[in-house]
Amino acid sequence: MKKKQRIMILLVFLILAGASAVIAAKGRKKEIVLELGMFTGSNWDVESANCFVVIDKAIDAFEAGHPGVTIHYDSGILREDYSEWCARKLLKGEIPDVFMVLDTDFNQYCSLDVMKNLDEYMENDPEFDETRYFSTALDIGKNSGHQYALPYEVVPTLLFVNKSLLAKEGIEMPEQDWNWNDMYEICRKVTRDTDGDGILDQFGTYNYNWLNVVHTSGAQLFSDDFARANFACDEVYDALRFTRRIYELNQGQKVTQEDYNNGRVAFMPLTFAEYRTYKTYPYKIKKYTGFQWDCTTFPAGSSGGNTSEVDALLIGISRWTEHEQLAWEFLKQLTYENEMQMDIFRYSQGVSVLKDVTMSEEAAAIIQEDMDEGERVIDSRLLGAVIEDGIIAPHFQKYEQVINLADNEISKMMEENKSIESTIKIFQRSINSYLKQ
Amino acid sequence: MKGKRIRIFQVGLLILNIFTVTAISGFISATTMLICRNYDAREFLSGVTAIPWDPRWKMWACIILLALLCVGFGLREKVFKTNMTAITTCLVGELLLAIVIVYLLNFNYNGILIMVFANMLAYVKERKAQTTLMVLAIVCIMLADYSLLSVGYRLYSIESYIAYYDAAAQRTLLGIYNVLISLNMAVFIMYCVDFIVTQRGTIDEVNALYEELEKVNEQIQEYAVMSEKMAETRERNRLAREIHDTLGHTLTGIAAGIDACIATIDVAPDMTKKQLEVISGVTRDGIKDIRRSVSELRPDALERFSLDYAISKMVTDMNAVSGAKVYFNCQVKNLKFDEDEENAIYRVIQEGITNAIRHGKAEKIWITMTKEGADICLQIKDNGVGSKEIKNGFGTKHMKERIGMLGGTVSFDGSNGFTVNARIPIRWGENYD
Repeated sequence: MKKKQRIMILLVFLILAGASAVIAAKGRKKEIVLELGMFTGSNWDVESANCFVVIDKAIDAFEAGHPGVTIHYDSGILREDYSEWCARKLLKGEIPDVFMVLDTDFNQYCSLDVMKNLDEYMENDPEFDETRYFSTALDIGKNSGHQYALPYEVVPTLLFVNKSLLAKEGIEMPEQDWNWNDMYEICRKVTRDTDGDGILDQFGTYNYNWLNVVHTSGAQLFSDDFARANFACDEVYDALRFTRRIYELNQGQKVTQEDYNNGRVAFMPLTFAEYRTYKTYPYKIKKYTGFQWDCTTFPAGSSGGNTSEVDALLIGISRWTEHEQLAWEFLKQLTYENEMQMDIFRYSQGVSVLKDVTMSEEAAAIIQEDMDEGERVIDSRLLGAVIEDGIIAPHFQKYEQVINLADNEISKMMEENKSIESTIKIFQRSINSYLKQ
Repeated sequence: MKGKRIRIFQVGLLILNIFTVTAISGFISATTMLICRNYDAREFLSGVTAIPWDPRWKMWACIILLALLCVGFGLREKVFKTNMTAITTCLVGELLLAIVIVYLLNFNYNGILIMVFANMLAYVKERKAQTTLMVLAIVCIMLADYSLLSVGYRLYSIESYIAYYDAAAQRTLLGIYNVLISLNMAVFIMYCVDFIVTQRGTIDEVNALYEELEKVNEQIQEYAVMSEKMAETRERNRLAREIHDTLGHTLTGIAAGIDACIATIDVAPDMTKKQLEVISGVTRDGIKDIRRSVSELRPDALERFSLDYAISKMVTDMNAVSGAKVYFNCQVKNLKFDEDEENAIYRVIQEGITNAIRHGKAEKIWITMTKEGADICLQIKDNGVGSKEIKNGFGTKHMKERIGMLGGTVSFDGSNGFTVNARIPIRWGENYD
């Protein structure tokens, strides 16, 4: 009897083991396929003709270096659909091994814990030197001190300058370390009624808002843990005072995109991607054609720097990937390879996340290539500095909501000419109670 | 009957749990598909704190684990039955399976743990082990609670999936979910109550049987007393008959003979002398008869062996039978007395040992026999509790009577252990033969 029982148990186990072995064998194909999640088109709201070139080249290089490994991606997912696509894949448990992470999704994915913590890989990989990255760009992929995604492409915000307008008004192109007063002086000079109909038709700035100014004021809007807002400080007051001065120059008149397109505005914030796109063929014929323009840094406040917001496209590894090491290798291929990062300058509109690549002469030459002759190219050293000193949007879920609320409150304050200090103090109180919720 | 009811509860729990686990994992899987079909994934994600990895895979894993649980259940009930080692292995395996299922379901349902503990409870017999198991079960179920664990860990919640549906459907689904959980709990509580009631029943039964046993014991004791009395009566009757037949007969003869002698002594002294000789012969015959009768009443050992050997045997038997150690020290050579004397000595020693063990709880008993003049001195001393007053119990009274009959004396001392000192005059060399 006992023997019979033992044989029976053994049989049950054998059947189970066999079944699981068959399932395991079925699931494991001979060739390793690494899934890549990516979207078509540019991350920076600009047209892009070469969206697959960079990735395809990287895939070819990776597959050549790793025989037996195939990288597969679904093409044709638009950027606006990508977030939903990722969410569906996450829900079904089919998220690709390596996938692009939109900045709007990053925090959510961190809190859902769907991306691998990369700290260990970065520490244990002897080839990997994280100081090659722009620290700002790395910080974008961090959440509570841990690296969950690596930047693939970075885009700083620059200040568009209408050179033709400045030349017409006899104003020199501002230096790169200029300040608020320099800007105010220029704006004051250019803001006027050119055709004598009593209405202003030439303006200093378009879309240059309080947040751009605060970024250059040295203020830190939130406490380190994002639990409290820090609006009520002298830096913010100064920034808002300056914003109000600029605002008041327009005498209540609204500046429109059309004014800008027609060359009647001197300054406008612009991403580097837009700069690259509309400065080079074929898209340069589409916008801003009636005048010469260039980009520069933002003017600095008395206790701030010539800094602006920096944005990055992130790539992460799925927490559930079966090929951790390969996924890491491929992630490195995309974000750490010199040649690959140089391709970003060649085919994409952003900036490489690697300092040495961005500041190389080759990169400068690529940017210069498509420019009209005589155009001044952004100095790559300056570009590097703008990115390295850049300010990243805080990673917490209520951030956008808080900024929207602040936008409303501040524009109302400007329109109704209310006291800056008291308005901000009251606002800060309501924001703090909102953050506590 | 009892076993059958427990079996019904266990099978009921199993079916209920299979249904609940399949329903929960299936519901999550189906809802995920629905969300994806409706392109609501992003919005759904923004409302949850965690998501299950591949819900369809999880569903199938749960189904396979449930099937294994059923196999374990079947093995226990049909194959092993009484093999406790195999059953324990099965139960431990089932517990592990249940833990994996609870983990796969992210603690949204822990009723399956209740089921496994219910099954375990059926096999545990000891009160203490049952209590331990119950406490363990409660702790396990409390720890495996979603609302507790979701504070510290990222767990997906079935309620966020339910919340995807419109309000009416939400109410229905939540209702079903809660009913399933409560039903499982209710069946478990019923099972426990039944279990306790059954156990209570067993205890009552045992108590009743015990009472019956007590009664029977009492009856047996009564019977023993009665049969002792009957034996005594029988013995008395026999003695009476014996006395009547032998002594009565002889004495009657003697009395009649003596009467005749009184009448003839003056007339015919010679005839009287002859008559007296006849009477003497009858008297001797009577003594023989009495001896025979007495020898029929003698204790076994004495009848068959010498006194020396009989006492030694009794001491050895006592040493072997009771916890007490008996030392017998005899300084009298050639223990050969008359039967009544031997009887008395034997009985006094026997009584003394019995008293020392029964009343004195003695561990050591010393018996010394010495000769002082014509008397035999017998001392029985023990290291027992002794007694402050000497109660005139049956034993001591008996001893006094026996020794008194032989013209001896006996004294008792209960101050240091208990000591019996007996002095028995011996009819040395005197012989009636």
